[in-house]
Amino acid sequence: MEVKITTQDSVTTAQLIGRLDTPASQEISGDFENLTKYAAGTVILDCTQLEYISSSGLRLFLSLRKAAASKGGKVIVKAINNEIRSVFMMTGFLNLFEIQD
Amino acid sequence: MPKTRHLDPHCEAILEEYQSNLPRFREVEQTVKQKLSDTFREAGLLVAAIESRVKAYDSLAGKLELKGQKYKSLADITDILGLRVITFYIDDVDKVASAVEKLFEIDWENTIDKRKIHEIDSFGYLSLHYICSVPGFPYRFEIQMRTLLQHAWANMDHDTGYKSGVEIPKRYLRNMSRLAGMLELVDDEFSKIRIELTDYRRKVQSLVRSGNLDEVPLDGDTFRSYLELEPFSQLNKRIAAMNQAEIQDVSILPYLAVFKGIGLKTLGDIATVIKEYSEGAYQIACYQIGLTDLDIISSSIGPQDLCIAYILKNGGGKAGIRHMFDLLNGESESNDMMAEMLLEQSKGLPFMNK
Repeated sequence: MEVKITTQDSVTTAQLIGRLDTPASQEISGDFENLTKYAAGTVILDCTQLEYISSSGLRLFLSLRKAAASKGGKVIVKAINNEIRSVFMMTGFLNLFEIQD
Repeated sequence: MPKTRHLDPHCEAILEEYQSNLPRFREVEQTVKQKLSDTFREAGLLVAAIESRVKAYDSLAGKLELKGQKYKSLADITDILGLRVITFYIDDVDKVASAVEKLFEIDWENTIDKRKIHEIDSFGYLSLHYICSVPGFPYRFEIQMRTLLQHAWANMDHDTGYKSGVEIPKRYLRNMSRLAGMLELVDDEFSKIRIELTDYRRKVQSLVRSGNLDEVPLDGDTFRSYLELEPFSQLNKRIAAMNQAEIQDVSILPYLAVFKGIGLKTLGDIATVIKEYSEGAYQIACYQIGLTDLDIISSSIGPQDLCIAYILKNGGGKAGIRHMFDLLNGESESNDMMAEMLLEQSKGLPFMNK
């Protein structure tokens, strides 16, 4: 699992590449902690190359969203595949995030 | 260039006293402002603004030039420090006044309730002025209390009226009075609306608590009150138990649009949907997450699956589900994909075939 973070103006983009299962979530938790530093602005989680998400992955997304909400920023989840979209829907988290196709 | 003033030694002495006490006035200004702000916050009283100022040197010099002999010393001038509390509602002026009475010593002899000294056939400057003091500070200060509309009128009147130095034709003065009368009525109406809304909310809360949900129309206020009863909690817990999942609390308010969209009119209608469609919602959730290791769900899973079960069972089909997702997530082609998937999944579920 790989995370590439880039920042331009007040927009930070994190490209998530690979499968976000439980071990991968632990592996990249530091990256998500870094992302909370930018949570006062807009954080885009670019999921174009994200193949799978587990509950642990969802928790990372949620904690980032919580940090953004408390700092007045926002998290945009971009280009999730149908399988991940279903996971968001089945768990009731779909309308919690701003999702961009 | 400073204006040339012709002040006698008595007035000069007052100005000197003013200048040497200026830092102290500024200090008291901040303390009083902070006290007011803290008190209003603790009391849950929302005010539009708290303004303050210490009279400028030139303004005081001008005042002394005009009527300096009226004042024996600086302590006789009560508006060197002035604060103004601007409220949204007219009945909040009295609440603010009551807070001010508790916080500061009031000089009742010099305090004016301009609201009460009005002639019965005139309208105009309605506000409450208290002359106050605090221990350890020998000078009095003024606190004005008025509503936003009174404030607006006072500013307009100030601009066009008695302080402009130009005599205003009577017909304009009459128009200003008419306007003041109208603003007074508007202030009263705003207050009445607030009182009526508070009564309505109390009534709704009492109906909700007593379980008379059929009598309560579905709207933003009533839905919020209903959510305090956690009506979806039982279903959420049942779904969570499937995977020993943790439930994350999220706002259910976006579902108001969905419930209205599927034609529910009262809180009683929602209660009926919960009663009649919880089993269907549970079956949908079982099918979707029962065979996964997903162990986190949001508290909106219950209302979401209830709406899906209701729509499918009542012939809303794919278009109905898509509309639900469009309302919740904004319009998107992906909503179509999910609606299609849900339609397929539900075909084999027992509740659909009952």
